Amino acid sequence: MSVSTPAVPTFGLDVLRRLREIVGAENLLSQREELLVYECDGYTIEKQVPDVVVFPTTTEQVVQIVKLCNEFQLPFIPRGAGTSLAGGSLPVGGGVMIALTRMKQILEVNLRDRFAIVEPGLVNVHLTQRLKGTGYHYAPDPSSQGACTIGGNVATNSGGPHTLKYGVTVNHILGVEAVMPDGSVVTFGGPAEDAPGFDMTGLFVGNEGTFGICTKAWVRLTRDPAAYRTMLGIFETVEAATQTISNIIGAGIVPAALEMMDSGIIEAVEAAFHFGFPLDAGAVVLIEVDGLEVAVDEEARTIIEICNTSGAREVRQANTPKERLLLWKCRKQAFGAIGRLSPSYCTQDGVVPRTKLPEILRLIVESGKRHNLRIVNVFHAGDGNIHPIILFDERDADQVQRVLHASDEILEACIELGGSVTGEHGIGVEKISFMSKLFSEADLATMLKVRLAFNPTGLCSPKKMLPTAGACGTEQQIVKTGVRAAM
Amino acid sequence: MSLPTLAAFADEFTPATQTELARFMADNFSTRQRVLYPVGGRTALHFGCPAVEPGVAISTAKLTGVIDYPARDMTVTVEAGIRIETLNELLSHERQRLPIDVPQSHRATLGGIIACNAGGARRFGLGTLRDYIIGISAIDAAGTQFKAGGRVVKNVAGYDLCKLLNGSLGTLGLITQVTLKLRPIPEATRWLWASFASFQEIEAAFDKLLLSATRPIAMEVLDATAAVQIAADARTSLPTDGPVLGLAFEGSAREVAWQIDTLQAELKLLGPRQVVITPDAEADGLWNALTEFEVTAEEPLTFKANVLPSRTMEFMELAAREQISVQAHAGNGIVIGHLPDRVTTAQTAAALLTPLRRFVRQYHGNLCIVNSPEAWKQEIPTWGESEPSWPLMQRLKEQLDPLDLLNRGRFIFPAPVPMDQG
Repeated sequence: MSVSTPAVPTFGLDVLRRLREIVGAENLLSQREELLVYECDGYTIEKQVPDVVVFPTTTEQVVQIVKLCNEFQLPFIPRGAGTSLAGGSLPVGGGVMIALTRMKQILEVNLRDRFAIVEPGLVNVHLTQRLKGTGYHYAPDPSSQGACTIGGNVATNSGGPHTLKYGVTVNHILGVEAVMPDGSVVTFGGPAEDAPGFDMTGLFVGNEGTFGICTKAWVRLTRDPAAYRTMLGIFETVEAATQTISNIIGAGIVPAALEMMDSGIIEAVEAAFHFGFPLDAGAVVLIEVDGLEVAVDEEARTIIEICNTSGAREVRQANTPKERLLLWKCRKQAFGAIGRLSPSYCTQDGVVPRTKLPEILRLIVESGKRHNLRIVNVFHAGDGNIHPIILFDERDADQVQRVLHASDEILEACIELGGSVTGEHGIGVEKISFMSKLFSEADLATMLKVRLAFNPTGLCSPKKMLPTAGACGTEQQIVKTGVRAAM
Repeated sequence: MSLPTLAAFADEFTPATQTELARFMADNFSTRQRVLYPVGGRTALHFGCPAVEPGVAISTAKLTGVIDYPARDMTVTVEAGIRIETLNELLSHERQRLPIDVPQSHRATLGGIIACNAGGARRFGLGTLRDYIIGISAIDAAGTQFKAGGRVVKNVAGYDLCKLLNGSLGTLGLITQVTLKLRPIPEATRWLWASFASFQEIEAAFDKLLLSATRPIAMEVLDATAAVQIAADARTSLPTDGPVLGLAFEGSAREVAWQIDTLQAELKLLGPRQVVITPDAEADGLWNALTEFEVTAEEPLTFKANVLPSRTMEFMELAAREQISVQAHAGNGIVIGHLPDRVTTAQTAAALLTPLRRFVRQYHGNLCIVNSPEAWKQEIPTWGESEPSWPLMQRLKEQLDPLDLLNRGRFIFPAPVPMDQG
C-alpha cells in the first residue's frame, strides 16, 4: 500500500509568491520542517508531504487559490483538522494543501428556523458549546468532536455514537456553499428545504473533497432531549452482549446510543481512569435512551429487563448527570487510553448487519491470533459499526505489514457478511483498493461520471475515493486514459 | 384536469426482471434511442413538465420482489415496483414501518415515490425519504445496472447516489431496487388542533412553542377552507373558525398522553379560539386526509412552495387572501396550495401566483407546480425559477444520460428540440 511520488513538478517561486499575495505570508507554509506536520492525518501508516500549505480566511481567497492551481495545473486538496483515520487529507497528489482551519466563524444561529450557518474550519464541539442553553444542539458528535471540523465532517459524512437514533452528518446538513474545482462558487440547498432539482447537498456530503471545497454549511439544529437514562450492561461474553442489543431493537426501542467495549479495551480504560469496570467481563455495553422524562423511565426499565433476561451479569445505571458524564468519558476517551497498551494503533472501521456482530467479532479474534497481533474493540454496536483497534509498533516494518493483512482480512469479512468497509471514516487512501470489492465496475464507472461533472480535470483531491491509476494497483478500465491519468 | 402526456406513453414495456429491463434499455440505446418514461403506480404522471415526444413507458409493475427482510436489522431490500401499501403491510407484521406519508399508497410504488421525493406531515419529526434510503440499484439510459450504498444502516463507501436519485424524477436512471432503513411502529399517535384569529397569531405561537416541553412529530397549519375539506374527507371535526394549527405526537401511550396534556396547558397562554383533540378512532382517517390533500385535484392548479419556516405564516396569509386553500408542513416551510375554482385560465393563474413567487424567492424558497392543465405549463414555470446550481445539475445529467433519453423534457432541464423519430 505505498503511494507513488506525484508526477507533478515542484512548482516555481512565482506560484509561491502569488499564493502569498492571496493569503498573506502569515497564512502560508512552505519550509520542509513546517510542512512535516501535514505529512499525514490520523491515519499514520502512509505519509506524503504537501508542496505548500495555505490557510485562506475567506471564500474569495479559496476561489483565487483554486484558480491559480488551475492556471498552473497543480493538484490541490482541502484539509480540516486532519483527524481522518483513513488518510482522507493525505496529499497523495502532492500540490497545494488548502487548510480551512482559519475559516472558523459561526455566521448565524437561527433557532426559529432551526439552522446555523458555519464556516468549514469550525471545530464541531465549538458549535455544541455555542448552542448550550438554547434548548437546541447540532446532533452529529463524532468521538473526535473536540478537534474535527464541520467542513471535514461534511466531506466524510461523519458519524459518531448517536447515529442510531439521530443519523449521520448528511441527515443534518441543509445546504453547502462550495468552491468548485474550476474556482466558481456554488450554493446547494440552504435554509429552505426541498429546493427543486437534484439533492446536491445530499450528494456533496461524503464526497471526501473530490467535488470541491466546502466553504460554508447550513446545519440543522435539533431540540435537546429533556432527559437521559444511561446504563452500563456487563456481560460474560460478546455473544450475550450482541444478543441483548438485538433484543432491545427487536422490542421496538431505538436507543440514542448502544456502544460496546470488549475486555481488551475495558482493561485499558480501567487502567487509565479507574471507573471500576470488572476486568473479567467479556463485554460492557453503554446504553443510553433519551427523550421526554415521562418516556425514558419506561424505556430504561424495559432495557434493564431485557439485559437481565438476556444474560447480563449486572446492569448499572447512572443516577446523576455527573455519573452519566463519567460513563461517556470512558467511552469517548477509550482511544486515549490505548496509548497505555502500545506505541501505535490502527483503528479499523467496518460495518456488518447488526445481527452479524458475533460472527465478525469472532473473526477479528481469529485474525489477531493468526497475525500475532493484539486487537481490542470499542464500537457503535447499535449500527453494526465495528472499530477493531489493532495495536502495533510502527517502527517495526514486519508488524506494520501484519497490521495491513489483518485489516484487509477483517474488512473482507465485513463485505462477505453483507456489510461495508467504512461506516464513518471514509475511503481516503486506506480503503481505495476495497472499492472494487464492494462495487462493480459499472458502479464505479457511474461514480466516476458523477465526479467528472464536478471535477473534470481531476486536480481537486486526486487519487481519492475511486480506484484509479497509481492507487493500490486496482486500476479500472472505466474511462479514457487521458482522464484516468489526470484523476 | 387534463390527462397529461398519455399520448407519449402509447408504447409500454413491462419487464419481468431487472436483467430483462437492462437488456431492453441497452438495446434501445444502441438502436432506436427512443425516449423512455419510467412509470410506477401512475399516481404522479401529471407531475413535472408534460412529455413532448412519443416514447416508451417503462412500467415497474412486475418488479415487486421482496429480496431480503432481516427484521432484526431493521432494514428491508425490495424491488422498486412494490406498492407502498404492500410494503407497509409487510413491515407491519414486524411492527416496523417506513415513516413517510405517501398519497395514494395503494397505487404508488416505492420507485415512484423516490423519484418524486414524496413525503408529508411526519417529516418534521421523522425526516424525509433521503434519510431512509441506504442502498439503491438503478439502470442508466445505456442499460448499465449500477448501485450505491449497501444493506447496512451506516456506510460511507462511495458517492451517495441514493441521495442523487431521490427526487430526480427518473431522469438519471430507472430505479429497480432499494434498501431501506426502518423504524418501529409507535404504540400511539394523536393530534391536537387549535384555531387562531390569524396566521400572525400562529406565528407568535410557534415562537413560544420553540421551547415547548413537548416534541411533536408533525406541525401542520391549514387555512379554514383546507380544514373544512380535510375534516370532511377524514370524517372528523377540526376547528374551522380561523387558520388552524395541528400538532401530532407519537410514542408510547403514556408519553403521547402526557404531551397532549402539556401542550394544552402551554397553548392556553397563547389564546387559541378552539382546541380539538382528534379521537383515536379517527386518527388514521385524519392522517390519510392530510396526506391526500395535495392530490385532491378537482382544483385547477396545485402548487408546492418551500420557504423559510418563519415566513410560512406570512406566505399562507398572502395565499389565503386570494382564496387559495393551503396546507403547510409548517415546521419545514413546505406549503401546498390549491387555486380557487374561479381561476379558469393560465393567465389568471399566473397572475395569482406572481406575488407568491416573489415572496418565496425573497426567503430562499421556490414554487413548483404539482398539477395543472397541461397547456398552462407553457406559461407557468413548473419547476419554479432556476437556481444557480442548475447548470451543474445539467452537467450531471449529461454525464449519466448523454442522449437525454430518460424522461426527456419533464424535469428542470430546458425543453429540447424534438428529435426525428426514425
